[in-house]
Amino acid sequence: MIHVKNLVKRYGKLVALDHFNLDVQDGEIFGLLGPNGSGKTTAINCILSLLTYDKGEISLFGEPMSPTNYKSKKKLGVVPQNVAVFNELTVQENIDYFCGLYAPEKAARKPLVEEAIAFAGLSDFRKFLPKKLSGGLLRRLNIACGIAHKPELIFLDEPTVAVDPQSRNSILEGIRALNANGATIIYTSHYMEEVEQLCSRIMIMDKGRAIATGTREELTALIHTGEKLTVEADGLPLSVLEKIRNLPDVLRADYADGHLRADCKGDGHPIIDVLDLLRQNQVSFGQVFSEPPTLNDVFLEITGKQLRD
Amino acid sequence: MFGNIYCKRLLVSARNKGTLIWTWIFPLMMATLFYFAFSGLQEADLLKTIPTGIVASEEYERHTAFRTALSAVSDPEEGFLELHDYDTREAAEEALKNEEIEGFISLENGAPNLSVFKNELNQTILKSFLDQYVQTEHAVISLLKEGDPDVSRILGLFQTEAWTEELSLSKNVPSETVTYFFALLAMVCMYAGFQGLDSVSYLQANLSPLGARRTISPAKRFPLVVFDLLAALTVHMACMLFLLAYLIFILGVDFGAGLLPVIVVLLFGSFLGMAFGSFVTAISRAKEGVKVAVIISFSLACSFGAGMMVSGINYKIAQTLPLLSWLNPAARISDALYCLYYYDGYGQYFLNLVILAAMTLLFSVVTAFFLRRQRYESI
Repeated sequence: MIHVKNLVKRYGKLVALDHFNLDVQDGEIFGLLGPNGSGKTTAINCILSLLTYDKGEISLFGEPMSPTNYKSKKKLGVVPQNVAVFNELTVQENIDYFCGLYAPEKAARKPLVEEAIAFAGLSDFRKFLPKKLSGGLLRRLNIACGIAHKPELIFLDEPTVAVDPQSRNSILEGIRALNANGATIIYTSHYMEEVEQLCSRIMIMDKGRAIATGTREELTALIHTGEKLTVEADGLPLSVLEKIRNLPDVLRADYADGHLRADCKGDGHPIIDVLDLLRQNQVSFGQVFSEPPTLNDVFLEITGKQLRD
Repeated sequence: MFGNIYCKRLLVSARNKGTLIWTWIFPLMMATLFYFAFSGLQEADLLKTIPTGIVASEEYERHTAFRTALSAVSDPEEGFLELHDYDTREAAEEALKNEEIEGFISLENGAPNLSVFKNELNQTILKSFLDQYVQTEHAVISLLKEGDPDVSRILGLFQTEAWTEELSLSKNVPSETVTYFFALLAMVCMYAGFQGLDSVSYLQANLSPLGARRTISPAKRFPLVVFDLLAALTVHMACMLFLLAYLIFILGVDFGAGLLPVIVVLLFGSFLGMAFGSFVTAISRAKEGVKVAVIISFSLACSFGAGMMVSGINYKIAQTLPLLSWLNPAARISDALYCLYYYDGYGQYFLNLVILAAMTLLFSVVTAFFLRRQRYESI
């Protein structure tokens, strides 16, 4: 559905996209994950033919993408990062306006608009002007304006920025519903939890390059870090900590604020060994947590920095 | 698609507070202000008398003829002089210095002598009056010295004979007051620039998120911008017609000719204003506030040059810097309206329309050059 090959985009001396490649299949929810400034929005704007680029090929629906490829544009839905609605039009008028750019027939448009209002949970606010809406409702309006015409391919650029948890959940559920109805989704975010929950495949980006692509499991399998152990322990002696560090399946271990934290190697599960060591050395312990590695761990191990840096 | 874009744009413009204030409320306030400030201006000009000092002396008391002449021209009903008597020349000089009087007359060696402090219109009138008096007095004395004077010849000296015929260019009298209202209409025409600003911002992906969203859509750019501008023009013309109706029916401003040619001027002016606003928006990526400031400043500067703030400045600019006057869109709009008000012919009126159309075309071509891009280096 989307094919991008060797895309290069420069802003003066800054290389915003460095030989960027992307392939998205029909029916996917594809996540572009990366810190701010990693090139996610630039990549989308190039794909949408809003930005010029220095090199590369972009095709959508099997056709080269250009500003005058109206056939492909008709099948696209875009939810931009910045809320793009008319402040002087009501919720319903805004959705009707943008839907009208894709579906000119008023009669055909009416049920689409109603469906979008219901989908975004804006039925009670249809006569409201955007300035009267909360941040979360405004984001939902932004989404409704982008998807009312039932596009086949939807780009959602950071749709949950500055949104309360309730609206965020509602938005994520909505995106799943759109996908279930047959739309292919490109979802960009710097919130790894969202991408982990939502996306069938994920591309991690940094400094304009794709540093890893795959399913969540494929990505976490790329790194040495396995599960992460956290144990509440009172007064852990340094000698015991050293013994834990020397366990064969432990990658690294630290003790602070009454908590022992240990990162485990790949497939290793040293939890029994760690607890045995604590018991043998008469260190009392409380709750024990074990978590699988996150995309942040993937990003950390590949780039040496936190995803939210 | 036309109905959707056109109707929604009408709503956007009608609900925009900035547009409401600058193009609807502000001009109404200005028009009302002008009405109260200038309504008595012409009458005041016509009735104004010139305060003039007279230095008392024995010679003055003896000069009956001169006193009679002064009495005639200082008649409270029809005279143009307001006489103030002073006992001494020093007292008159002091009054002149304090600008209580425009000049004073003293009789020296039988002849009236005028003393003034400035060289302006009122002083010129005083001098003309005295010159005419002295000339007539000498002529009468000459005739009397000839003996057996012909009474009819003496009387003829007091009758002015016009060698030229005064013709009016139109049925309307020249008026400076209407210029203020015409310049105000010109300013509001230029405020159509706000509509041009919005239309271009809504179209360009590098100028607003709305522009990006519309650029991504499958709607073609040309119909998109044409339908949008058409709606914007509709709203602006509604505003212009509302103001025109207020001026004519509430304030009683006379536009001379019929309404249609006046509306044509306002239409041409609004086109030009929109083209200018589009031009300012398209050529630069400065913030919207900066562009609004440019449009307001330019409109006010042009309106100033068209005579909205200082009476007669438009004529002074036309005399001293004619090119600037011809290139001032507000001056052309105001002048076209004045042509309709004052002249019977349409030559100058059409010339103004041609100039407005040429300026509109120029701004539009440059704007189109910038708008032809559909992909941007950065957004």
